[in-house]
Amino acid sequence: MNPLDRRSFLNKLTVGAAAAASGSAAYFAGPRPIQAAYKPKGNIPDKPFKTGHITFLTGPANLLGEPGRKGHLMAAEEINAEGGLLGRRKIETILADEAAGTDANVKELRRMKLSENIDLFTGIVSSGNTPALGPVAEELGVLTLFNDGCTDFLFDKAVPKPKYVFRVTNIQSADGITSAVGAAKAWPHAKRVASLQPDYSYGRNVHEHFMLAYQKLVPGATSVSEAWPKLGTTDFTPHITKLISDKPDILICGVWGGDYVAFYKQALRYGLFDKMKVATTLAFGGQPHAIGKDHPEGVLAGAHANYFFTFPGKGRWPINDSFVERYYKRWNEYPSFEADGAYTSLYLLKAAVEKANALVGGWPDDDAIITMLEGMGIDAPSGYTYIRPDNHQGYKDAVIGMTKNDPKYEFPIWDPESIITIPIRDITAPPNWPKPGQGHNESTAAANWLKTTWLT
Amino acid sequence: MSQISRSAPSIPMLLAIGIPIIIALGFLPRFIGLYQTELLIYGFTFAIAALGFNLLLGYTGLLSFGHSAYFGMGAYTVAFIVRDLHVQSMELCILGGVLASLVISAIFGYVCVRHTRIFFSILALALSQVLWSLAFKFFWITGGTDGIRVPRNRITLVGGLFDFTGSGAYQRFVYSYYYYVLVIFLIAVVIMWIIVHSPFGKALQAIRDNEVRAGFVGVPVQRFRWLAFVISGTFTGLAGALWVPLNGLTTPDILYWPFSGEIVFMTVLGGFRNFAGPIIGAISFNYLKVYAVAGSQYWQLVLGSVLVVLVMLMPTGIVGTLGRIARMLRRG
Repeated sequence: MNPLDRRSFLNKLTVGAAAAASGSAAYFAGPRPIQAAYKPKGNIPDKPFKTGHITFLTGPANLLGEPGRKGHLMAAEEINAEGGLLGRRKIETILADEAAGTDANVKELRRMKLSENIDLFTGIVSSGNTPALGPVAEELGVLTLFNDGCTDFLFDKAVPKPKYVFRVTNIQSADGITSAVGAAKAWPHAKRVASLQPDYSYGRNVHEHFMLAYQKLVPGATSVSEAWPKLGTTDFTPHITKLISDKPDILICGVWGGDYVAFYKQALRYGLFDKMKVATTLAFGGQPHAIGKDHPEGVLAGAHANYFFTFPGKGRWPINDSFVERYYKRWNEYPSFEADGAYTSLYLLKAAVEKANALVGGWPDDDAIITMLEGMGIDAPSGYTYIRPDNHQGYKDAVIGMTKNDPKYEFPIWDPESIITIPIRDITAPPNWPKPGQGHNESTAAANWLKTTWLT
Repeated sequence: MSQISRSAPSIPMLLAIGIPIIIALGFLPRFIGLYQTELLIYGFTFAIAALGFNLLLGYTGLLSFGHSAYFGMGAYTVAFIVRDLHVQSMELCILGGVLASLVISAIFGYVCVRHTRIFFSILALALSQVLWSLAFKFFWITGGTDGIRVPRNRITLVGGLFDFTGSGAYQRFVYSYYYYVLVIFLIAVVIMWIIVHSPFGKALQAIRDNEVRAGFVGVPVQRFRWLAFVISGTFTGLAGALWVPLNGLTTPDILYWPFSGEIVFMTVLGGFRNFAGPIIGAISFNYLKVYAVAGSQYWQLVLGSVLVVLVMLMPTGIVGTLGRIARMLRRG
C-alpha cells in the first residue's frame, strides 16, 4: 500500500451514501414478471424440493432468527407462486429450533438429511453453530447455504476446502472493522476504548478486529475496560457500572438480539450513553421494531456490516424498495439483515439451478449447482452480493450509520446523512490470503491481512 | 424407599432374556438404516451414563446434579488426546477418558460424600460448574463455546483395524461404531450388574435405606459412598468418551448443568428403582428430545410436560410402570 496519512486512508476506505450499491448482476433476488419467466430445458420432475431451515425460533436470539425464517418463507412462497424451481419443483421447508443447542442441531441436521432427505440446508444464526454444522454438512454431502453464523473460523479452519457449504452474509471480521471505520470517522479523538462483548466466538472476533482496525485509524487508542457477559444475559448492571467507572471515551458493543435490548434499556438508567460514545455491531441486527424510540440518537448502529432496510434508500435501488414493500405486506414488519440473507439464499439457489439447467438440461445435480454458485453474483435487496469461489463466502459492501428517530417509523433508523458504505475488498483479506496456520498464527486471515497491509 | 429388587433373577433366566435381545440388537442395523442406527448409538452412550448415575441415585440414595462434569471430562479428554497428542487409537482415547473421569470423580466425590440430600446435590452441581466455566473461559485451550472438533478420519477402532478415511467413511463409521459401542455397553451392563448384586452393592442399598443402621453393622458408610461415587463418575466418563467421535465435536454444553439435569431426566424416565430403568430411560430420552426438537419449536414444553406427567402419574418410570401393569395382568 502506498504511504498514506491516516485521514486520506480513512476517506479512501469509505464511500459515503452517494455511491451505494454499485455493480450489477444478471441475476436478482425477487419475483419476475410472467413474460420473463425462465423456460427450463429438458424434463424436470415435479418432486418437491425439500429444504431444512434451522434458526432461533425461541429465546432472545429469536429477534434475529424470526426475520431469517420470514425471509426464507417469503422467498419460497414467491418462487412457488412461479411454479417452483424450474417451474416444477415446489420448495418445502422443515423448520427446527437453533436454541436446542449445538449438539441437538448436529443431530437435527443429520435427521433432516438422512431421514427427511432434504435437498438443501439453510439458516443458522449463531457463529457457535456453523463451525459445528459445516463439517457435518460436508460429511453428509448436503448442499448448504448458511444465511449467517458468519465467523471467519468456518472457512479459515473448520471447513478450509468447502464443497457443499456456502454462506451468504458478510464475513464476521468485517463487523468489527466496519464499526472501527465508522467510529474513527465520527470520533477521531476517542482514544480510551471500552469493550462489551458476548462471551463467545462472535464477541472475541468483534473485539479483536475492532481494536486492530481502530488502533491503526486512531493513533494512541488503548483498551481501558473489557466486559464479557455470557450470551443470553439479562442483567447487565454489573457490566454497566464497571464500564462507566473505567471512564472510556468510546464503547464498542457486540451484544446482540434480546441481549442488546436488555443492555440499552438498563444502560439508559445509568446514563451510560451520556458518558461515552457508543459504537455497536448489531444494534440494528434484530427485527427493527425491537429497538424502541427510547434508544438514544447518535449511536453508531451496526447491522452486521450488512443491511438495514432503509438503505439503499427509496428510489435508489428498486430491488430493495419492492422487497421492503412485499415483506411489510406479508409480515406486517420491516426486514432485517437476516431476512435479506435468508431471502437472497433461496434466490441464489434459484439462479444457480436455472444457470445449470441452461447448460446441462433437466434437473441439475448438486455438482452442477455448486459450480454455478461459485463466483455467482446476485442483485439482492442489500445490494450486490458475490460468492467468492475460493472460500464459498458471500461478500457485499459493508454499511453502517447513526441512530436517529424519524416520525415515519415506530423505531429509530439510520440517519440518512450519516450512512457510510465501505467496499468489502477494502476491509477483508483478498482471495488466497494465507489462512491461520499458514505462515501466521493470527486468529483470522483478515487479522493478518489488516496488520500487515494497513498504514504500515 | 422401596427395595430395588426383591431377589436377583437366576443366571439362566437372565441369559434366556438377554441372549435374544443381544442377537436382535446385532441384526437391527440391517433393518433400521443409517440414521436410526446412529440414534441408537447415542442411546447406548447415554445409557452407560445413566447406568452409572443410577448407582448413586437408585442404589446409594444420593441425587447428583453434577454428572455432566464426568461425562464432559471423558469427552474433553478424548478431544485433547486426539488433537494434541495425535493419538488415533480409540482404545487409548477411551482409556485416557476413563482415567481422567476416575481421577476427577475421586476428587469431587471426596468433597461431596461428606453430605447427603440437597447439600450433596448442590455441592455436586457447584463442582461441575467449575469445570464448565474452565471449558467456557479458557477458549485458547478448550475452544470456548466453539468446542473441540474430533474428526472421524483421525480415529481408528480395535488397534487400527478399522479406519475411516476415503469415500463412504461416514457410513462405515456408523455401522462399525454401532457394534463397537454395543459391545462396550454390554460389558458395562454386566459389570454394573455384578456390582449392584455384590455384597458391596447390598451395602450401598443398606446405606440408602438406613445409614445409621448400616453404620452399626459395620459398613464404612462414607468410604462406600465415595467408592460408589467414583464408580458412578467413571461410568459416566466412559459414556462421554464414546460420545465424542459420534458427535464429531465437544462443546461446554455437555459440562453445563442442564445436561446434568438431562441425565437425571433419563434415569427418572426409565425408573431409578430397577436395574434396567436407566437404560430404557436414556434410549427413550434420546428419541424424545430428537423428535421433540424436530417436531416443534415448543420442544421445551414437550419435554417439560413429559416430566410433569412422569412425576405425577408414573413415579416408577417406564420400566416400573410396565412391571406394575404386567403384575396386574398376571393377577387378572
